[in-house]
Amino acid sequence: MAKVVGIVNLHSDVTYKGLTEKRPVASVSFLGRYGIIDFVLSNMSNSNLDTVGVLIKEKPRSLFKHLGSGSSWNFNSKSGGVSLLYNEKYANNAMYNHDINNLVENIAFIEKSKADCVVIAPAHIITTMDYSEVVDAHMKSGAEITMVYQKISNANETFVGSDYLRLKGKQVTEIKTNKGNRKERNISLETYVINTKVLLKLIDYAKKISSFFDLKDTLTYLCDERKIMAYEYRGFARCIDSYEAYYNVSMEFLDMDINTQVFKSGWPIFTNTNDTPPTKYLKNAKVKKSFVANGAVVDGEVEGCILSRNVVIGKNAVVKNCIILNGSKVSPNAHLENVIIDKDARIEKKKELIGEDGPLYVREGDVV
Amino acid sequence: MSKEIVAMILAGGRGTRLEALTAKVAKPAVYFGGKYRIIDFPLSNCANSGIDVVGVLTQYESVLLGTYVGAGSKWGLDGNNSLAAILPARERGEVGATWYAGTADAIYQNISFLDQYDPEYVLILSGDHIYKMDYADMLAAHKAKGADLTVAVLNVSLKEASRFGIMNTNKDGTIYEFEEKPKEPKSTLASMGIYIFTYKELRKYLIADAKDESSKHDFGMNIIPMMLNDGKKLYAYEFAGYWKDVGTVESLWQANMDLLDDKELDLYNIKKDWKIYTEDTLSKPQIIGEEASIKNSLVTQGCIVNGDVEGSVLFNNVYIGEGAKIVDSVLMPGVLVEEGAEVYKSIIDEGVVIKAKAVINKEAKEVQLVSDNAR
Repeated sequence: MAKVVGIVNLHSDVTYKGLTEKRPVASVSFLGRYGIIDFVLSNMSNSNLDTVGVLIKEKPRSLFKHLGSGSSWNFNSKSGGVSLLYNEKYANNAMYNHDINNLVENIAFIEKSKADCVVIAPAHIITTMDYSEVVDAHMKSGAEITMVYQKISNANETFVGSDYLRLKGKQVTEIKTNKGNRKERNISLETYVINTKVLLKLIDYAKKISSFFDLKDTLTYLCDERKIMAYEYRGFARCIDSYEAYYNVSMEFLDMDINTQVFKSGWPIFTNTNDTPPTKYLKNAKVKKSFVANGAVVDGEVEGCILSRNVVIGKNAVVKNCIILNGSKVSPNAHLENVIIDKDARIEKKKELIGEDGPLYVREGDVV
Repeated sequence: MSKEIVAMILAGGRGTRLEALTAKVAKPAVYFGGKYRIIDFPLSNCANSGIDVVGVLTQYESVLLGTYVGAGSKWGLDGNNSLAAILPARERGEVGATWYAGTADAIYQNISFLDQYDPEYVLILSGDHIYKMDYADMLAAHKAKGADLTVAVLNVSLKEASRFGIMNTNKDGTIYEFEEKPKEPKSTLASMGIYIFTYKELRKYLIADAKDESSKHDFGMNIIPMMLNDGKKLYAYEFAGYWKDVGTVESLWQANMDLLDDKELDLYNIKKDWKIYTEDTLSKPQIIGEEASIKNSLVTQGCIVNGDVEGSVLFNNVYIGEGAKIVDSVLMPGVLVEEGAEVYKSIIDEGVVIKAKAVINKEAKEVQLVSDNAR
């Protein structure tokens, strides 16, 4: 059997406004009890990968804490483990801080792994992809590089700015940017299986073409010279590439038909424990259509919301279509609609906060 | 590795009065409070008190409990200098196969485990009590008094006192007499079954007790009277706070209901940062449906609630169907309540399915236990 290692690539050019001011996209809280990165890590774990490297672009503090030894995602076998690959040399140099340079700095990870091939996947595209199926198809096709795509019919609304593939049979002939001008596209999910030897060559090659070339640029540049196979993924995929997308995709999960596509038996989503008690609903609680994590205390009206751990909703407060992150408190009688409240904030003075055109944002630790 | 103090948790009890709930698990492994097992409380108390070597003595249905406690990682006790060790009744080289004949005998049979750590003090705990307590404070009191044995006591009402082992004390807190379930109690200081012994004394008395064929090998009945008789220094350490020994289905139900009242056990660390650690279930956040209503209840991750829930405690992965009604009940992990069913004042055991439109205990006079296990 081929030896495969996973690489989570956090070098995507994605931010969520205030939510990513102090933390990377990967550790932004999602659906009440997860970090964005938990989905790709769980997919890798469920696909039986036990050696995983995380290419960290920036702001690593919260991510280091979240990942720890990797035991929450079962990366604690004696033979495997999670390696946090950080490129300090270019940390403050935007043009040079890309995945190819990170791989160069941390090339020891790939060399020592003795892997036959690597699976590279981003954190901000949420899927439940079984990479072992992609690897099987890759092996069978005899390709050096396989790119995963999804056929979508709303490319004018989502994945705008992502790449799409032009195909000839199962082969990629061209990689272009989705400008949102057509509905039907074969969107790249930025997930690749690459033979290790080929990846090492690509890295060398990329440096020779341009010091600014990242992996995406290199693959785009090379796709007419090298045989790149396309693999169609038909399962759940959502691209969280902006603050608005973060809000919209979160809200989409309140629909049972959507969330059951992700939370399904045999495919657990792992995260680390916080040892919080159950959520307590008090006498004035009125909760509908919401996701609630443990440790919350609710004594108000909550509808269409996602409440993270230890959130407090005061007596008779009304909270609608909001995402409230860990430890934030909403005072009694406050009225909130369409608001994202970052961690440990307190809504005290302001009794009404309503996001008219898109969700309002309250920063971590603020008192408003 | 020498340790100032080692804790030993007595976790072998059957808990027969919990009926079907303990048909397949030991009492310390019984679920409590929406996401815990009872033994999480003494184990978390140890971890939070800085006691990092804990022996867990098991006998009845020891496999599940042993797997659950493991090496103690759930409580952060699996470091290089810490350990949770499962100590089942077992076959031993010098004596062959033996059961634990009593609380004192259980510790006696593990003297070699204790000796490895050369402890100055040994803390003896029950695995089936629910409370939050800082054992470091009790140890400080034990040391300050230069005691041979300190017994944690709870000041109960005179009416309740005849249900407990009562410590009769002098004004300075020294114990002069122990009475098991006295008909006419002289004091209201009930033993909580929490003891700190100076180990060299404990060791001596355990060996003496083991030789006495007429002994029941019990701390309350044998060791404490023997020490009193010899004029040893026994002190009562008064504990003020929530403490419960859930012996029956009724009292387990009541203890769960107590959690709905803020004045009781402080699970939310309002007064003191003292987390109770437990197993992390791999479940999604709880999902509350469009037609749901939840009031005055505890609900844990993994639950899906589409009906009405009031005054109840829901463990992980409980499903409440549309139009179902749950009142004053405790639903253990994985309970499935189908559409339109009604449940009143009940404990529903792990994995039970309540069929659509079924009505359980509408009279709600006594607590009803519904289980797939028979007792």
